[in-house]
Amino acid sequence: MTGVELRDIGVTLAGRPVLQGVSARLEEPRVGIVGRNGSGKTTLARVIAGLVAPDAGQARIDGADMAADRRAALATVGIIFQNPDHQIIFPTVLEEIAFGLTQQGQRPRAAEAAARAMLDRFGKGHWAPAATHSLSQGQKQLLCLMAVLAMRPRVVVMDEPFSGLDIPTRLQLMRYLDGIAAQVVMITHDPGQLRGFDRILWLEGGRLIADGPPDAVLPRFEAQMREWGGLDDLAHLAG
Amino acid sequence: MERNMTRIALFAALIAALGLIPSLTLAFGVPITAQSMGVMLAGAILGAKRGALAVLLFMALVALGLPLLAGGRGGLGAFVAPTSGFFLGWPVAAFVTGLIVERLRSGPLAVTVALASIIGGIVVMYAFGIVGMSMALDKTLAECTLLVTAFIPGDIIKAVLTGLITQALARSRPAALLSRS
Amino acid sequence: MISLISPVETWAHRIPAGAKLLALSALTVALFLTDRPAVLAAATLAVIALYLSAGTAFLRQGARHLRMLWPFLLLIALWHGLTGQAQAGIVIALRLLAALALANFVTMTTRLTDMIAVLTWVLSPLRRLGLPTRAVTLAIAMVLRFTPMLVENGQRLALSWRARSPRRPGWRIVVPMAALALDDADHVAEALRARGGILNDIPDGRN
Ligand SMILES: Nc1ncnc2c1ncn2[C@@H]1O[C@H](COP(=O)(O)OP(=O)(O)OP(=O)(O)O)[C@@H](O)[C@H]1O
Ligand SMILES: [Mg+2]
Repeated sequence: MTGVELRDIGVTLAGRPVLQGVSARLEEPRVGIVGRNGSGKTTLARVIAGLVAPDAGQARIDGADMAADRRAALATVGIIFQNPDHQIIFPTVLEEIAFGLTQQGQRPRAAEAAARAMLDRFGKGHWAPAATHSLSQGQKQLLCLMAVLAMRPRVVVMDEPFSGLDIPTRLQLMRYLDGIAAQVVMITHDPGQLRGFDRILWLEGGRLIADGPPDAVLPRFEAQMREWGGLDDLAHLAG
Repeated sequence: MERNMTRIALFAALIAALGLIPSLTLAFGVPITAQSMGVMLAGAILGAKRGALAVLLFMALVALGLPLLAGGRGGLGAFVAPTSGFFLGWPVAAFVTGLIVERLRSGPLAVTVALASIIGGIVVMYAFGIVGMSMALDKTLAECTLLVTAFIPGDIIKAVLTGLITQALARSRPAALLSRS
Repeated sequence: MISLISPVETWAHRIPAGAKLLALSALTVALFLTDRPAVLAAATLAVIALYLSAGTAFLRQGARHLRMLWPFLLLIALWHGLTGQAQAGIVIALRLLAALALANFVTMTTRLTDMIAVLTWVLSPLRRLGLPTRAVTLAIAMVLRFTPMLVENGQRLALSWRARSPRRPGWRIVVPMAALALDDADHVAEALRARGGILNDIPDGRN
């Protein structure tokens, strides 16, 4: 059994259902998740990464429950948070990248070498000793991506990873992602970023309202967004 | 486990950050820094054990040589200065403050916390400070007590603020008040 | 975050941190055990010579770190001048100076990583008692990460306050600052869990 398997997922936060009856088996290499603000995308990303155990249903990757088996999760799934300030744990760039590798059992010196190699891969070798808090928002996002990609997870879950990146960095990153074997699950508001993806999930109000290839889902999604965006009835916007 | 640890680290950082706020000067030219308010807050919000751990973590960083004490001081010198008794009393002060907030559950939170901060953050902390000062300066306890009285009004203000801040936090983030969970 | 370590590289930088700390503890205890002015004067001179051996720039830097002692030295001078116990005053002043200068000397000549290594070594017996010593080094790194973040958040909130209010925020800013910080801490806890959490069987900083 391979891939991400979601079976009838339900999550309730503060007494309110945030996800309901979400089922999908994701085996495609590139999966996009779209939906309005507050539709439950981030929550679903957390469930896939095993950071939240669903209140109902089952979430598995390659047959293993990521929320229960954190050690397996470490090698299997990496997640990039929507806000990089929520993700960065360490005061310097090198420590931040090396940390995940020592967590995977690498010796500190090997981890550091691998971290440097990752920085070099993106032409950011000079960042190694830099203070993480001194990076710009987009630079922080790139750091978070490098820190997770360095761990070589089988599945990479990304929550709006490109919102602060400039175009050259984004293209460089897309090329890098194309070159690795990992399965990518990406949340975005920009259908343009989903070009070349294999499958799109569309969440609305915590439910999966469309699931299929981009050609089938994205035109409908964009049309719907335009229609809602054209309305002046703000009541509809209250998520 | 992870959550406890990040919160302990966070409060150690809060004590450090409060040391960067320029110190206020009271009417009699007595400087007060916000830093010891961080100690009271750590105890009041995290509770006795975690509060004391947060303070110990902060002290470890100072010992390692980081200039985290108000005015950019730090290093091992912080442990042998005439005022080091106060510093060494910090973890106990946070512990006692936290313990009182944990145990005394009747009455308005702001009042309880202010009271706890006065007992933990002033009575206990000054006991340590005065003993340390009397050792360093070779003066009697009574003489040293006299020397530090000028700082008490400032610390009472901090205790009251700790009460108000804790109450406001308890309203906006009820789950954050580990001392009452 | 900069440490108080001196940018002037001295011979003392190359002495193992553990040895320096051990010597410091022994000497500090000795300073507090003696009451003889001659011994304390000699000790103070020896400490000055120690600083001088690292150069005059280093000495000046060291003197700056002693500024916090002035009010106390003044107090001692006044007190003992008035009571006529000059010798006792000199003993106290010399002891304060020597002890503080010696402690600062170790801090100024020891790298943060070396200090952390000593700390983990001191804590290592506790590991057998089940205390997660790796958590301690992790927590230290986190404090260094959180402190500038808190300061930045505070400044951002103060700006946002001033953009909408003619009055200064004062202590009120601490409430949203702390609330924001608590949320951030919980998110970082999640980030830590996402990368394996606190695993005790992972080797720590020492190879
Ligand atoms: N900690 C929480 N407690 C209570 N409710 C929450 C919590 N986190 C999220 N929610 C609610 O869950 C719903 C889904 O949130 P989620 O963050 O998954 O949305 P999202 O699709 O990622 O939105 P966005 O596009 O704005 O990032 C929202 O209505 C939100 O209010
Ligand atoms: Mg989101």
